[in-house]
Amino acid sequence: MLRRLLRDFQGDVLAIPGRLLALIFFVVLFFIPLFLQGSSGSYYLRIFIFANMYVIFAVSWDLLSGYTGQLNFGHALFFGVAAYTTALLNIHLGWQPWATIPIGALAGVIAGLIVCLPALRLRGPYLALVTLAFPLILLGIIFAFTDFTGGELGISGLDRISDSRTTDYYISVAVMIVSVMIMWKLTDAGSSIIRTGIVFHAIREDEIAARASGINTIRYKLLAFAVAGFFAGIAGAFHAHFMRIAGPSNLELVLSFQVIIWTVFGGITSIYGPVVGVYILFPLMEFLRAAPEVRYLIFAGIVVIMLLFMPEGIAVWVRDKIERECPRCKLSNMAFRKTCRACNTYLYEHAGD
Amino acid sequence: MLKKLIPLLVVCSLLVLLIVPSCGGEEEDNVIKIGVIGPMQYVQGEHHWYGATMAAEEINDAGGIDVDGEMYTIELIKADSNEMTSPTDAAAAMEKLITVDGAQFVVGGFRTESVFPMIEAAMDYDTIFLGCGAATESLCQLAVDDYDRYKYWFRVTPFNSTKLVSNSLMTLGMAGGIMQQGLGLEGPLQVAILAEQAEWADAMVAAYQAYVPAMLGMEVVGTWRPSATATDLNAELTAIEDSGAHLILTILSGPVGIPYARQLGELEIPAASVGINVEAQKDGFWDATEGYGNYETTLNTYAEGIALTSKTAAFVEEFIERFDETPTYNAGTYDAIYLLKEVIESTGTLDADTIVEELEGIDYIGAGGRIVFMGTDTTTPHDVTYGPGYTTGIATQWQDGEMKAVWPNLGVGEWEGVTYEGVVMWQIPDRVIAYYTQD
Repeated sequence: MLRRLLRDFQGDVLAIPGRLLALIFFVVLFFIPLFLQGSSGSYYLRIFIFANMYVIFAVSWDLLSGYTGQLNFGHALFFGVAAYTTALLNIHLGWQPWATIPIGALAGVIAGLIVCLPALRLRGPYLALVTLAFPLILLGIIFAFTDFTGGELGISGLDRISDSRTTDYYISVAVMIVSVMIMWKLTDAGSSIIRTGIVFHAIREDEIAARASGINTIRYKLLAFAVAGFFAGIAGAFHAHFMRIAGPSNLELVLSFQVIIWTVFGGITSIYGPVVGVYILFPLMEFLRAAPEVRYLIFAGIVVIMLLFMPEGIAVWVRDKIERECPRCKLSNMAFRKTCRACNTYLYEHAGD
Repeated sequence: MLKKLIPLLVVCSLLVLLIVPSCGGEEEDNVIKIGVIGPMQYVQGEHHWYGATMAAEEINDAGGIDVDGEMYTIELIKADSNEMTSPTDAAAAMEKLITVDGAQFVVGGFRTESVFPMIEAAMDYDTIFLGCGAATESLCQLAVDDYDRYKYWFRVTPFNSTKLVSNSLMTLGMAGGIMQQGLGLEGPLQVAILAEQAEWADAMVAAYQAYVPAMLGMEVVGTWRPSATATDLNAELTAIEDSGAHLILTILSGPVGIPYARQLGELEIPAASVGINVEAQKDGFWDATEGYGNYETTLNTYAEGIALTSKTAAFVEEFIERFDETPTYNAGTYDAIYLLKEVIESTGTLDADTIVEELEGIDYIGAGGRIVFMGTDTTTPHDVTYGPGYTTGIATQWQDGEMKAVWPNLGVGEWEGVTYEGVVMWQIPDRVIAYYTQD
């Protein structure tokens, strides 16, 4: 059993450079606090904690908009609904983060299902516009019931997740890894266990054909919105407790657009793309504080150049450099190999000349 | 070839950008590092920085700060909080300021939703944070619940938002009195409330609706709520004219303040305008309204030629000379830095707890007013004290292209006799005089 697991690990992880890099990345994340000591270490850990939350948030957008094709321009709704839910439960009922965060995520699911209702009838830019309106509606509600929601000041004074920055960091890493792995498996078109991945692909590519094939697309769209709402909700609820405040900025359009920029920059429809996008762009914006006047200019310049030369995203570009898919059996191989590790087919044209 | 090279160059540049800033600099002796945090891409943050820069340069030129017999110079560290867009950014900026840049004290802050997490970050490191922008009362209520944690937060400026209502009502009362006397108006004056559609204005509207009749004996004839970004107020102003209002009480912080004032003059609405119009606090207001904004009256903090204290005139003149702008209240960082100098020199230490104790008992005359912090037995500990003899703010009126201070003046009760050098009489707009004196 152990030998079989090891063999699978060798074949499915170590032999594929992209997965190997992902494994190294996750392992490195666990050792980061060892290198970040002292008070300045706390600041760098803060950046990583935010990055972990935004990774979950961005991957959830990729699942919904990238894989399922349900273009969502108001993804901050799920983030904000969960942030406010967790804040209200914590402040008014005194519930602790271990209870409020999952309930906040469930509020994200409900928000996802509500947004999904028009999504069942709309597509493309029409759907995008409708999703864009939802966070604005919620903002209107927040400003209409200020005694309950705190209005533009938000709800502050939430309990911390823990008393230690390092503990917060490890919790965020664990939650991020588990969330990303679940979403990766849910979108894996090649999975023999879960078939959601292939169905999501089918809905995105041709919903009518998918329905004609007997797939209940409504159910899967509901599922995609619910799952995206759940994970974006986890990110929002975690964010609220870490910041100790939930406010209107959790619902602002900027946040909805940021998640799209991160995902497209890293590589849409890839799951690891948003991870890379967030982990590059979020710290980059932090470090560009050294040049505040040109911070956004440099940021925009980098994004534009990257999209010009790597339109599929930086992570996908790197993957294409280090991996080669076998034209025959579709297995991923290291790029330096000439033949497929499984079927021995030549990976490059004329490679056998 | 180039197509392959450019992506590689971009990736390498990203790596360099990520790695280089983490290389730290050398520590300097006898330097007090003060962080100045604010939305540096906006006028509020700019004025945070300008005010702090002026104070730090003056102090350093005079030899620095005497800490127990040893002279220290001030090093300012500028931090763009990006707080208008992202409280997350603001909190990270504060933590970087303290932990990476080594700021021992911090001044600034503006947007309340961002100042909350900024306070949390500063309190995590027991760092004194002197607020110079956010007016919300609740920021100073944090110390009521947990004094030991939040005792390092003080608000130097402005006085809290509830006091804006008091100042507006007193300015309205003064203007109403002058109009009744000057125009021979009889019976209760009619007041129209014009407030932008914003949550912060809601509570003020409710307060005005209750207090204008109760405290001033005037009648509220209606409330109009245009968008903060409206460009045409013809309908509102025509309706106000039809209502017979003598006075318009404004609550405007957005760009709507420009078309409002311009159309008020263009349409010759026979009502005087007082209250809050943030656009009218800016030097460019006169040109923006093409002179139609004459007589527009707004609450304010500084004005050229007005002496709130013995230090105000010199500060405002120097500020205008250096930066070609009249300072906003965010330039109160000037007083905040001097305040720090005062307490550090009197205690002879940089220890935060000792300095907090000293700040709690301080009585300091700054450029913006007399600074005395509210006691720990009040509902808003460490808030700057408001009222006659402390910090009051002013009201300014545009009079033929110049921004003149017109209030405090002609006060009653505890405000009787309260005024400042340079305050002039509030003027009734020509269009109102013409309307009420025509046969």
